[in-house]
Amino acid sequence: MASFAKIRLNAKFVCSTVALVAGLALMIPTLAQNDDEWVMPRTEYGQPDLQGNWTNATLTGVQRPEGMDKVLTEDQIAGLEGRRQETINADAAPSDPDREAPVKGGVYTGDALFDGATGGTGGYNYFYIDAGDRVAYYNGEPRSSLIIDPASGRFPEMTDEAKAIVAAARENAGGEFDNPESRPLGERCLLSFGDNLGPPMLPNYFYNNNYTIVQTKDEILIFTEMVHDVRIVRLGEPNPLPENMRPWMGDSWGRWEGDTLVVETSNLPLKQVNSATYVTPGGSEQMKVTERFTRVGEREINYEVTVDDPGYYMASWSAEVPFTRLDENIYEYACHEANYSLFNVLSGARAEEAREESR
Amino acid sequence: MSINKKNLALILGVPALMLMAYTTQINAHHAFGAEFDRNAPIILQGKIVKLEWVNPHTWIHIEITTEERNGEIWMVEGGTPNVLLRRGLRRDCLAPGTEIIVDGYQTKNHALKRANGRDVTFVDGGKIFMGSSGTGAPDDAQRRGNDESGRC
Amino acid sequence: MNKNKTRFRRSEQGHRYAAKATVAFAAVLLVVSACTAPTEPTDASATAQESDIPRTPSGRPDFNGIWQALGNAHWNIEPHMASPALAMQPGPVGPVPATAVLAFGAVGSIPSGMGIVEGGEIPYLPEARVKQIENKENWAERDPEVKCYLPGVPRATYMQFPFQIFQSDAKFFISYEYASAQRDVYFEDPGPAEVDSWMGQSVGRWEGDTLVVDVSGLHEGSWLDRAGNHHSYQMKVTERYTLSGPDHILYEATIEDPATYSRPWTIRLPLYRNITENARLGQFKCVEYVEELIYGELRKNPIER
Repeated sequence: MASFAKIRLNAKFVCSTVALVAGLALMIPTLAQNDDEWVMPRTEYGQPDLQGNWTNATLTGVQRPEGMDKVLTEDQIAGLEGRRQETINADAAPSDPDREAPVKGGVYTGDALFDGATGGTGGYNYFYIDAGDRVAYYNGEPRSSLIIDPASGRFPEMTDEAKAIVAAARENAGGEFDNPESRPLGERCLLSFGDNLGPPMLPNYFYNNNYTIVQTKDEILIFTEMVHDVRIVRLGEPNPLPENMRPWMGDSWGRWEGDTLVVETSNLPLKQVNSATYVTPGGSEQMKVTERFTRVGEREINYEVTVDDPGYYMASWSAEVPFTRLDENIYEYACHEANYSLFNVLSGARAEEAREESR
Repeated sequence: MSINKKNLALILGVPALMLMAYTTQINAHHAFGAEFDRNAPIILQGKIVKLEWVNPHTWIHIEITTEERNGEIWMVEGGTPNVLLRRGLRRDCLAPGTEIIVDGYQTKNHALKRANGRDVTFVDGGKIFMGSSGTGAPDDAQRRGNDESGRC
Repeated sequence: MNKNKTRFRRSEQGHRYAAKATVAFAAVLLVVSACTAPTEPTDASATAQESDIPRTPSGRPDFNGIWQALGNAHWNIEPHMASPALAMQPGPVGPVPATAVLAFGAVGSIPSGMGIVEGGEIPYLPEARVKQIENKENWAERDPEVKCYLPGVPRATYMQFPFQIFQSDAKFFISYEYASAQRDVYFEDPGPAEVDSWMGQSVGRWEGDTLVVDVSGLHEGSWLDRAGNHHSYQMKVTERYTLSGPDHILYEATIEDPATYSRPWTIRLPLYRNITENARLGQFKCVEYVEELIYGELRKNPIER
């Protein structure tokens, strides 16, 4: 044990002593444990440490494709990951310098997500994409879908009311370029496209599926890269907002159950849950989301989420999403400040209408 | 991504793991199909005059060097720069004056002189924002700034 | 110096234990030496040590909480008299509020303030002062706040909206109510900012009880207030956060930008804790609110202006 030349009751002495005691305390489990046993890191308040940068990017989709089981076989993994790698390599290979303009009428790949996103324009080069090119491993199991309940791995059926809302919206779809408010939340730079922050927090299958978690004694902050937004989870006895107060991302209250952080969210606004994306089919104001965060390794958090929404679905649904350590930085995703796209879309619709009229 | 006869079969084999959702608003990503005109394909060659390294999309401004449209300034849409930054690329790896070829589709408002960069390459066909070895593996592009050839 | 090497069995397990124990011991010594490293406390931090300020378990000043500036630096950080409006037009006798802001009446008038600039005036280079005046005269078209753009640093600190500091042993994160602006303060310097951003790159270090934050890589599009005070991409901001008591932060920021100012200059103001029970940070996601302003003319049926 090191010794001090002078012992004074001051901050430095206290600090050093605390450090020594803490260090010795650290050594004891080090001497006692098996070499491979991972020890849950804890914050200075003794809570499991969920802090740092994480990503939920994955190749595994939200819903299970027909004909697959919950757990993927080695062949299926090789097929999925292999085909993704072939896509990446194909796009990275040099192009013909004497190539011509693409075909009039549009180019389609056959990938529903890609084609839906690019609308036949081919989008942009694949090197901008960072979708997560590996399947999701949850507790070591390679998964065919993030949804695990219902057992089919697919969203439960919607209520009649919800179906009526969707049908009515489709009928009124003519106005989809009439106003900025007609456009998707992601295109307006209000929230990420997809459901990054949710809750539930799901990957968007394109890029920037990154999060920072910060823990204080009483609150947990969850920050998402797109669109530089946060959820603030208050720990302790829930004191939820009145029914009519519905902030973006809702109102979240958390508690520790053993080493699992349980977060319950209500008061989600209709303008958020109703805005169905290609990731989730939408929801109602009755939606309640329960999330469970458990650190299970040096580089993994298990994220389990259940959505109860009797106003939209016939049953609740649950997903298991691995969050893995992100070693890189999160960069600012400022969006609105350089949102040429929304301008291009609205001005393009007006130009098309003018062309139609002059025919 | 660039589609050609060689890779079309591979690409069509990719299973649609993702759902195309029920939508109360017609909504997919931010719908490039809403922004660009499938019936107005274009191919452009020009020198970079400005790089906007911004979200939600990078924009490369080029001055056309071919006889057709000579001297016109066009803007080419790309993806999020955040992905490039995490791969170690920097805006200054693609210097002004660099000549590139872009194929894609014009915005629906043709007067804007903007297009999506469906495939953006150097004049020899090599993809921009890839490492010089061009194999496509993410690790290739770890370097910052230019290498000797002036590429990323 | 580590003069006490514990002896272990000469087995493979023993060597692993020895390695780990040595690492743990070395870590302890590193922490001890950091704790005993001499630091020169600033005047503000010396005062703070005497006050009763909250501390984290590891002994750092605890900045957790919701904070907000008082006063009206957000209108104009230089000393100024009250005035009728942010946009003016010539009138029959003297200037009057411009048509665009007329309906606001006194709600749109600017209160007087002594400013927060040490020494009073910002030491602009002559052409930069000309630009500030032009910015002010064209406020409606040029102020990024009008369009709900991210506010930048230091403007975010003294806007008329609160922010919340989330501080742990590992992180220092500032979440601003205005426009969901966020800042993650790094404690390891990643080098020069790889790209300019509206909220900049923040690198923090402790000087005694003061948190010093170096901010660089700031997008040149942000302003310092509503009076057209501006900067270039070369601006660097050095912030100092010091708790002067349980409910007050003394905030200082030194601003350097050789393209805009003739010398570095400093702003100083107190930040006040929101002591309301169960205080929450609100949301002011104003991008939605400015869609009519920015995109209204592109509607299929635009509203007549």
